[in-house]
Amino acid sequence: MTDPPTTGIPIGRLAEAGAPTGERGPLVALVEADQAPLLARPYFADGDPGPIVAALAQVPEMLEATAPFLGRVLGPSCLPARIKEIAILRTSARASCRYCIEAHTVVARDVGLSVAEVRALRGEPGVEAAFGDPAERAVIGWCDALVGTGPVGKDIKAGLRGAFADHEVVELTLLGATTLLLNRFCTALDLPTSPEVAARLVAEGLS
Amino acid sequence: MSEHTVGGRVWMYSNYHCNMACTYCLTDSAPSSPRRALSTQAMVTVARQAADLGFSSLGVTGGEPFLRADMAETLVRMAAVLPTLVLSNATLFGPERAERLRPLADADVAVQISLDRAEAAPNDELRAPGNHARVVDAIPRLVGMGIRVRIGTTLDPDADVDDEERSRLCALHRDLGVSDDDHVVRPVVRRGRAAAADMGVRATVADLPPELTITADGAFWSPFGPTVRDGRVDTDLLVTRTIDPLHIPAEALARLVDGQAPGDDARLGIR
Repeated sequence: MTDPPTTGIPIGRLAEAGAPTGERGPLVALVEADQAPLLARPYFADGDPGPIVAALAQVPEMLEATAPFLGRVLGPSCLPARIKEIAILRTSARASCRYCIEAHTVVARDVGLSVAEVRALRGEPGVEAAFGDPAERAVIGWCDALVGTGPVGKDIKAGLRGAFADHEVVELTLLGATTLLLNRFCTALDLPTSPEVAARLVAEGLS
Repeated sequence: MSEHTVGGRVWMYSNYHCNMACTYCLTDSAPSSPRRALSTQAMVTVARQAADLGFSSLGVTGGEPFLRADMAETLVRMAAVLPTLVLSNATLFGPERAERLRPLADADVAVQISLDRAEAAPNDELRAPGNHARVVDAIPRLVGMGIRVRIGTTLDPDADVDDEERSRLCALHRDLGVSDDDHVVRPVVRRGRAAAADMGVRATVADLPPELTITADGAFWSPFGPTVRDGRVDTDLLVTRTIDPLHIPAEALARLVDGQAPGDDARLGIR
C-alpha cells in the first residue's frame, strides 16, 4: 500500500503549526460573557463558548449567521462522526492550523480514533498502516487535495466516488472546505487552545 | 417597523467628545475623548433609510453634538426627512455662536438641553462650574429665535431632590419659556462614568425601550447602550456592527424584540 495521492503540500505537523499554546495572545479581544452582544448571548448562556464564538461575537450579525452554519456542517449528520473527524483533523493538519489540530485531536480521540490514527492524520508517517479501510483512505486523499489548488486528480476523485454516494461526496467536500475556512480564521487570529484541551493533549501524549 | 414594539425614533451618536465631563456621563465623554464620529453623510443616510423603513423620528446625541461645526446644517438636512431631536448641554450657545442655530427655527428640530437642578450649586457639582448660568442664559436666546427647546433633567436617585425643589425647577423652565410638555426627567443610569462613580440605577435590556441607536461602532439596542468605561465601548447592548444598510440592524433589533418575553418592556420607564 502507498499513502493516498496528495497535492505535494507539506503536512502540517503540530510542531510546525505555530507557537505552542500560551506563547502568544489572540490578535483580537475575545468577547467575554459580560460584554456579549445581544445576538451573541445565547452562545454564552452555558458558559465559555470557546474562542471561535468569542471572536465572532465581535461582529454579532456574523456570529448569528456563521455559528448555526458551522454547527450544522461540523455537527452530527448523515456522515459517521469518525469519518467527519478524520476529514477535519487531516484538513487541519494539511493547513497547519495549530488551534484546529489540537482541538480536533481531542474530538477525534473522543469519537474513537486511536492514538496511532491521530498521529498519522497529523502528519506522522504511517497512514497506510493506520488506515486499512479504503473509504477512510479516500477521505484522507480527498482532504489532502482540498487543501491544494487547481483541479483534483482523477485517481483521488475515483477513490472517493468508489466509496461514497453523491450526497456524501458533497457533504465531505463542504466539511473539508468549511474546515479550511476555520483553519485560516483560527490561525490568522492566533486563537488560543483551551486549557482543558491542552491538558488532554498532555495526558494522551499528543501535545 | 410598526408591526413590532421597536421605538419609532432612530438615535445617532454624532460624536463622543464633549466640552464638559459630567459626573454621571454614560459615554465617559470629555474634551479629550476619542471622537468616534459619524460622518455627516452617514447621518443623513441613516435619516433617509430610517424614513424608508417606517421610523417616525430621529434623535442626535453625543458627546456634545454642537462641537461639530456643521451640526446645525446637518440637523436641517435630517429634519427635512423626519422630525429630529438633538440633545445638547447648551454651553456653546452664547450670543455669537447661537446665531448658527437660527436655521433650526424653520426646521422640524427640537433642542433638548440638560438642566438637572433648580439651583446652580448642586447642578454644577454634577456637571461643570458655571453650567447652570450658561444654560439659563442660552435657553431664552434659543426660544427667542423660535427654536423649540426641551429640557432634560437627569436625577441621581440617591440625591435628595424633594418635591419642593422639583417645583422650583419646573418654575424655572417655565420662566425660561419651556412648557411642562417639553420637560423630561429621567434617572442616572449606572453605566459609563456613572457606574465608575457608583451612581444611578441598574438598567438591563429589559429595562430599556428598544430604540435603534447608530454609532460609529455599530448599532445598539438603545441610546443607553453604547456607553464607555475605561475607554472601551460596552458591547453588551450591541445589536450589529453593520449600520448601512439600516435594515440590517433594524431587522436584527426587531428579531430581538420579538424574542423577548411578554411584558419585558421598560420597567424603569427610561426614555
